[in-house]
Amino acid sequence: MTRARVRTAMTMLAPYLLTGPAIVFVAVFLYAPVLFSVGLSFSDWNFIHPEARFVGLDNYAQVLGDPYFREAAWNTALYCIVLIPAQIVIPLALAALLLRVGESRAGRIYKPLLFLPTILAYSTAGIAWLWLFDPLNGFLNTVLTTLGHAPSRWYTDPDLALWTVAIVTFWKTFGLNMLLFLAALVSIPKDILEAATIDKAGPFTRFRTIELPLISPTFFFVAVTTSFGVLDDIVGVIDVLTGGGPYGSSTNILYYMFERGLKYFQFGQASAASVIIIVLVLAVTWAQFRLLERKVHYES
Amino acid sequence: MKADAFARRQPVSHVLLAVATLLAVFPLFWMMTTAFTPNELVLTKAFRFWPDEPSLANFRKAFSEQPVGAWLVNSLVIASLVTLGKLAIAFPAGFAFAHLRFAGREWLFRAIIATMAFPVAIGIVPLYVGVSLTGWYDTRAGVIVPSIAYVGFYVFFARQAFKTLPPEMFEAARLDNAGPFRQFFQIALPNVLPAVASLAVVSFMGAWNIYLWALLVLDSPEKRTLAIGLKAFTSLDDVEPLWGPMMAVALLSALPVLVLFAFAQRFIMAAFSGKVGA
Repeated sequence: MTRARVRTAMTMLAPYLLTGPAIVFVAVFLYAPVLFSVGLSFSDWNFIHPEARFVGLDNYAQVLGDPYFREAAWNTALYCIVLIPAQIVIPLALAALLLRVGESRAGRIYKPLLFLPTILAYSTAGIAWLWLFDPLNGFLNTVLTTLGHAPSRWYTDPDLALWTVAIVTFWKTFGLNMLLFLAALVSIPKDILEAATIDKAGPFTRFRTIELPLISPTFFFVAVTTSFGVLDDIVGVIDVLTGGGPYGSSTNILYYMFERGLKYFQFGQASAASVIIIVLVLAVTWAQFRLLERKVHYES
Repeated sequence: MKADAFARRQPVSHVLLAVATLLAVFPLFWMMTTAFTPNELVLTKAFRFWPDEPSLANFRKAFSEQPVGAWLVNSLVIASLVTLGKLAIAFPAGFAFAHLRFAGREWLFRAIIATMAFPVAIGIVPLYVGVSLTGWYDTRAGVIVPSIAYVGFYVFFARQAFKTLPPEMFEAARLDNAGPFRQFFQIALPNVLPAVASLAVVSFMGAWNIYLWALLVLDSPEKRTLAIGLKAFTSLDDVEPLWGPMMAVALLSALPVLVLFAFAQRFIMAAFSGKVGA
């Protein structure tokens, strides 16, 4: 009798015991820090004067008035404008090409090789390119001077630093979206494509009118994850390649927050920056769901 | 019929893909060739696609200047433990969300999945303060434990894998008086081993590459990982960095994930393209 009751109790509790560890980890290490950030953003707490005082919106005013933050915000917008379309269009094109060469022997070689950069660490990727871009002895400047051009200063040039970071980030991340698109394209039933071929639809027409609508759920997913990634993925590359410089020309808002908090220990300002980032991320996500989800065709 | 015909003869597609592949692989090739070229030759401005006399001098120099061996061990330990931790919490949760009924299931699941959208660095300031106050600063635990928390994708993927198993499987077990834990360990888990392998490989590669957080927490030179140790070769301001030894260490840090990729490609591709149970 009691044994049966213990068993029932265990069955009742089991789901919480099984999900508990995941919930605790997520709550303690992801949600709690974000909530603490919100609290810290209204205080002047730091290691030097540990008695926190409520300072209202001071930290926000300081961050928003900081020219370095404005530079970071402007750069973040530039990174988004450059990288998000590139990280969607080029991987989609590559996936479409991979589908066309199919399972030919060469076709099987392209896919893993194209995916190689994606599995590397940001620091490894950054360092490989640091060397290619090296203004003194790097490969790219050797090519430029051999062709009779003046050598470029690449990541040490304030006008180019942001572009070098964008190139490395793109190189490091395009493989994932390519795989996602390819998986979606492969799952399109063959008979639909055959029908289109018989109808004499050209490859571009066929792609636009048949394949693209059919993979629109993946397209939506990729658009959303890519715009999250554009904040995150860049930070490691920035740190290795430029450290945000020269003169803040390649920093972004996440790296700005990181520097405020952990190089200069201005916890209040860093937290204010992180709250601003969270609000922006939520706004962008909401906008994407409103804009894109209407155009997505889910199969029933 | 035509579907195969258009797959076979695609000269333009082949050319475009070949060019893209060369561009994708070249930085890695250049890293490798530099690693095996004596450093004096590295600094001469000339095209040299492969050294006449490949040498291991750069590796020796790197190991003698920095505790590269210790970095390698640290990277291995940290990546393995993060992976173990993630799998140990993601699979039980995935099973419960897929096959058990309980109050709060939907919103707990959503709360975990929503963390996939968190920028990795977002809570970094309070976390850093927390780690400093608890004495985890400059320890492996300080890197490992908070890193395990990024399980949103893993829980989602595990749940999808368990959902491919028919519910009747577990009803039969219930009639046999098997409780939820026995259902999980004896029936569910053995049937989703490919998914476990996929997530293990993906997690190991991710943890091998942890950068920003490790950079903050690990301070002593001998406690660093390869991913952050690499930077030690760049921070020689003014002086031209030691490119040869630096590329040697970069190659070492890339090697384990490249080998893993070569052998476990199937599982990696499955996890990244969201194909469960392949």
